Amino acid sequence: MAMSPMEQFEVRPIVPLHIGSYDVSFTNQALFMCIVVAAVSLFLTLAVSRGRLVPTRAQSMAEISYEFVANMIKSTTGDDGMVFFPFVFAIFMFVLFSNFMGLIPGAFTVTSQIAVTFALAAVVILTVVVVGFIRHGFGFLKLFVPKAPFLLLLLLVPIEIISFLTRLVSLSVRLFANMLAGHTMLQVFASFVVALGAAGGILSVLSITPMFMIVFIGALEMLVAFLQAYVFAILTCIYLNEALHLHEHH
Amino acid sequence: MPSPEPDDLKRLAERIDEAERKHAQRKNPPPPTSLGIAFRFATEMVSALVVGGGLGWGIDWAFDHWSHLQTRPWGMVVMFVLGAAAGIRNVMAAAKELNAEMAAKDVEK
Repeated sequence: MAMSPMEQFEVRPIVPLHIGSYDVSFTNQALFMCIVVAAVSLFLTLAVSRGRLVPTRAQSMAEISYEFVANMIKSTTGDDGMVFFPFVFAIFMFVLFSNFMGLIPGAFTVTSQIAVTFALAAVVILTVVVVGFIRHGFGFLKLFVPKAPFLLLLLLVPIEIISFLTRLVSLSVRLFANMLAGHTMLQVFASFVVALGAAGGILSVLSITPMFMIVFIGALEMLVAFLQAYVFAILTCIYLNEALHLHEHH
Repeated sequence: MPSPEPDDLKRLAERIDEAERKHAQRKNPPPPTSLGIAFRFATEMVSALVVGGGLGWGIDWAFDHWSHLQTRPWGMVVMFVLGAAAGIRNVMAAAKELNAEMAAKDVEK
């Protein structure tokens, strides 16, 4: 039972599959991503299938999540950012459900894999670049040119470009590291319970203390699960806002 | 079902108003913890270094691969330093943002 705390993050193939030299096996990770997508779609469609004036509990949860994201977009990008509502909402719900589903004992946490979070961040940054070029043409490149004398620009433009690309890493690492750290911590404390319980005598009685810790960390993880989904979504909005309204950048 | 009394409706309206006011106050997310702030600064700095170093490494690799110029290790050296500069810039921007946020919170109180 007391396994390595990192074992929960191991990606295992369920249906081995190879195309050419590439390993495209259906893994536990892929399975849980499918589950998350199915859960989000089911929850949202079932909750609003019978739209009532006085909402049921499920319906008001769906409405609250809609309003939450809509307000987030309106307050960061203004009304013209609402075009991106489906994009931001999809990202928010996916991350939120992955984070919460990972808290179910035995479940696999999709967002604890850097490959997943990096892919999400890459989609966000690519969208920002594409939207920027569509909106402003090559004027989008002004984003990388601060007001400075020409000689300094030789130094500052590369710095700005690196600083822009940094978002790709910081966006993905923030989500991934938070999930990884939280789940590792839970597993470590859980292994203390088992180890102390097996030690016998007074130590067995003491095994109740890490159990309390797990309760507290579990509560904290719920907060982190929501907060990280929120942070991911709001940063997406902020980056989109920069692509939409260049002038606000300095 | 008997029709509701006007008084009942008025009281209900008052309760809804109050609930909405409370909801509006609570809407802001909780303030970041010290650990959260420290973690944020660390990611900003480290990811800038990673991106800078990675880009430099890529440039060196590209020159090595597709031309006869020997840039190694200068691409990586230069880009790593620029990455450090970008990281410091990012951390300062993040700190400025946090300061403004906290000042706004203090005014509210």
